[in-house]
Amino acid sequence: MKRILVLAFCLPVVCASLAQASSAAEPFNIDLIRRPNSLGFLEPILVHVTGLSGEADSALKNDLLFMGVVHKSLDEAKFLINANAVGGRAEARVLEKTTKGQYHEAAFTASTQRAAVHALSDSIAKALTALPNIGIAQTKVTFKVEPSRGRSEVYVTDFDGYGPQAVTQDNTLVSAPCWAGKGTLVYSSYKLGNPQIFSHVLSTGSRNAVARHPGNNYSPAVSPDGRRVAMILNMNGTPNLYVSSIDGSGLKQLTRNRHGDACPSWSPDGQTICYVSRAGGSASLYKIPASGGTPAPVRTTFAPSPTEPDWSPDGKWIAFTAQVSGFTLFIVRAEGGEAIQLVPGEDPSWAPNSRALMFCRGPDHSKQLYLLDVPTKTVKPLARILESNSQPSWAK
Amino acid sequence: MKIARPVTLITVALMTLSFGFTGCKKSPAKTTSLLGPGPGKGIVGDERSGPSIGSAPAQSDHLPAITEATAAAPTSLQTGEGLKQPNGDFAGWIEDVSEFQDQTVYFEYDKANVKPGEIDKLKEVARRMKSSFQGKALRIEGHCDERGTEEYNRTLGDRRAQAIRELLAAEGVNPGMMPTLTFGEDKPADPGHNEAAFSKNRRGALVLLSPPSNSRAQLTTGLGESSAPRNPE
Repeated sequence: MKRILVLAFCLPVVCASLAQASSAAEPFNIDLIRRPNSLGFLEPILVHVTGLSGEADSALKNDLLFMGVVHKSLDEAKFLINANAVGGRAEARVLEKTTKGQYHEAAFTASTQRAAVHALSDSIAKALTALPNIGIAQTKVTFKVEPSRGRSEVYVTDFDGYGPQAVTQDNTLVSAPCWAGKGTLVYSSYKLGNPQIFSHVLSTGSRNAVARHPGNNYSPAVSPDGRRVAMILNMNGTPNLYVSSIDGSGLKQLTRNRHGDACPSWSPDGQTICYVSRAGGSASLYKIPASGGTPAPVRTTFAPSPTEPDWSPDGKWIAFTAQVSGFTLFIVRAEGGEAIQLVPGEDPSWAPNSRALMFCRGPDHSKQLYLLDVPTKTVKPLARILESNSQPSWAK
Repeated sequence: MKIARPVTLITVALMTLSFGFTGCKKSPAKTTSLLGPGPGKGIVGDERSGPSIGSAPAQSDHLPAITEATAAAPTSLQTGEGLKQPNGDFAGWIEDVSEFQDQTVYFEYDKANVKPGEIDKLKEVARRMKSSFQGKALRIEGHCDERGTEEYNRTLGDRRAQAIRELLAAEGVNPGMMPTLTFGEDKPADPGHNEAAFSKNRRGALVLLSPPSNSRAQLTTGLGESSAPRNPE
């Protein structure tokens, strides 16, 4: 009898010691979970989210997905995210799954629960990936909407498609809206007959001229510092590449040819412009110094007729559309080379984290916007507004 | 970064306090819906003030006036460049889309050169412009099918209109009276998604413009509101 009692007492003590020992002997190493893939993107970090429901739950999981953190079953996850959202407050603790060691904790309060959840998502993603620029949950996108055939307007929405709002009501055609910083848009509008380029301050609705030259003014692209605009102008007879200050002053013609150029896109350091040239009779990508100089080709092997280039904010990649049995998205290293095929779609715009991008897909005049996580090729549609949504541009 | 043991209670308390502070800032919502009264959707308050949408833009924005223009004298093609665009704006001129409807020029896929078989159409246009339509202008509108991307097609449509304009100028039509417009793929003639439709959309359309007063041609000045682009019939 006594022997059994002694054993019963010893066992729990032994077990407790074993547990202590295992936790001390195998410390958790986050570096083993943060692994870059062959292209340099982080492999997804797998988590299991609990404690949220409805919109808060789907918003958080969607946010995390495009920042490289993916909700999975408890078995597959490496981290637990125990979250809670009440009123305008959202909070979470991030625990390592096996040891239950707390890795991160955050709480946010905002005027809407959705906003608090987005701030929380950014905080969690930054903690898990250790990438300072990963946070995109609080960003916005501008794009073109066709309410009906023959008419288009500029809209702005949260990156996940929530809360779209019309910015223009001109009952004309617009094209290529893009951002100058986070508070101003630049776009081309046919409001005054020929296409002209305007800047539009969102908080006041006031507009200023960027380019109202004779002929056609279109395809604006704002430099990353918000000070200059590259654009296509046909004032001298052929659509060629020009740059000016955002107020329109200091106009400089960068290309001069008879075949026509299209689709300018700035490098993140503002030194170089990538664009489409029609030299040789079909589309190909070129680069030219933003201050002027000699254009140089950008090879996109395996991707014919590249158009609509968009340079990633980290400078490493150029995303673009090519024609491979329909429009297909590709990325190529910024110096050119073998292009990497992504998914069907057109007109990519990088997220500020250089990991996700937004694009559109669909028959003409019936297009829809989609989000893409580039390394996993995960695609999620945005809700379509009215007849057609295209030409997304992600605020950086 | 290695986590050897759980975070202590004190650290947790400190972290909660600090996160509480950073998370507590509220920015006032400044969003005004353009769509009239109704519940404001997606009013986002967060640590940073995001872009708010202002009210609908006023009609008279900060747009500098277009300077008074006169018809440009005809110029010959300069080497390495195309023909300069007319300075003036033909807003308010009366449009006639039927006069040269049969002379719509069609293009090959991804091409902006006018095919030899299309050139007779332009000779006809030039003949009638010079004989019957003195003082009138001719707007050339370049269009594309949907098999190019949108901004690429805007350039392609532009290049098509320029190609037509240069040929007409070579035939003696005043380039100063030939404004061009590119619509890219915005305004197809045929909304179908097959080659039959595509071939009708790759086109240059010619629109005869008559001055509004019916007197000697005067180009408008200032910020005249032009007619909104017409929907295809």
